[in-house]
Amino acid sequence: MEDSIYIRMRNKVEVNQNSKITLSDIAQIIAPEKYLHQLKQLFIYQVTKEDKNTVVIDVMKIIDALTQKWSGLDIQLIGPSQTIVEVIYKKRKVSFPFFILIWLLLFIGSALAIMNFHEDVSMQEVHQKIYKMITGESVSKPLILQIPYSIGLGLGMIIFFNHIFKKRFNEEPSPLEVEIFNYQQDLDQYVIVNENKEAIRHLDDH
Amino acid sequence: MIINTIILVFIGFAGGLIVGCGFVAFLTVLGIVPRLTQLTKTHQKIYQYEWSIVLGTIFGNWVSLQDTTFYLSPIFLIPIGLFCGVFVGMLAAALTEVVNVIPILTKRIGVDGHLIVALMAIVFGKVCGSLFHWIYFVDR
Repeated sequence: MEDSIYIRMRNKVEVNQNSKITLSDIAQIIAPEKYLHQLKQLFIYQVTKEDKNTVVIDVMKIIDALTQKWSGLDIQLIGPSQTIVEVIYKKRKVSFPFFILIWLLLFIGSALAIMNFHEDVSMQEVHQKIYKMITGESVSKPLILQIPYSIGLGLGMIIFFNHIFKKRFNEEPSPLEVEIFNYQQDLDQYVIVNENKEAIRHLDDH
Repeated sequence: MIINTIILVFIGFAGGLIVGCGFVAFLTVLGIVPRLTQLTKTHQKIYQYEWSIVLGTIFGNWVSLQDTTFYLSPIFLIPIGLFCGVFVGMLAAALTEVVNVIPILTKRIGVDGHLIVALMAIVFGKVCGSLFHWIYFVDR
């Protein structure tokens, strides 16, 4: 009977620049004991400068490498058919002044946005009306309503995003984390198709 | 005369129907109710939450059109203000999320690890902007 080898490509791996990628870096393997060690060390790809940030390694490349070395293997592929290899250059650190700048940008921007919103929907007038409705008196600045309102505003956003600083209310991911995951998924999908030279064929009419 | 009344009733009813639909559609798109039920794990109570929104809308509608007055102490305004704020805050957060700003922002400027800090900037910005508006800006 033929020996079966099971291969499952990892979704995404990070490697250092100029590293040699072996099979065990980019895939999970189940194989008979006599092959296993050699298989894991099998050289697949050399990362070069030209690769820039990402390389997509298709499973066809791996099958090719395997059949060149051992003929007559039964290769079973499970799961994704390619791996995205992300080449990590020197970790880009966000400089502190730049970070402060972004922080202030978001801070002032959202402050301005909420003021515009209040003006837009005549919130001041509504608050005066609510004050009159509850107490029967008119005041021009119903601060007893407006200060709790302002605090509640922040509280509502925190509840929605499921964060109180680093503490969370429960184990479920927040909508924002799901949103970021989806966005990353879309980016990966794009990379899989566009970085993989074999995935697209253009008409060569030049 | 009768015909005028009938036309007015019809116009009022039609307008209310459309505004009501729009309001519910807006809340549904933003997904605030599912979010709250998810946090409190009360999925089986969603029917009551619907009624709460409908009755709240009708109540707000009635008191704002009739100039009803309750003659209560101003202390009651503190929880009312807080609840109003939480609701508007959730609206604002949901809107930011719908337009997909933050995922792109974190990717572009590379603040992946500092997402919470960036979020806090937005939250504090809202609170400070709101306080500034009510305490100082309205007098100018």
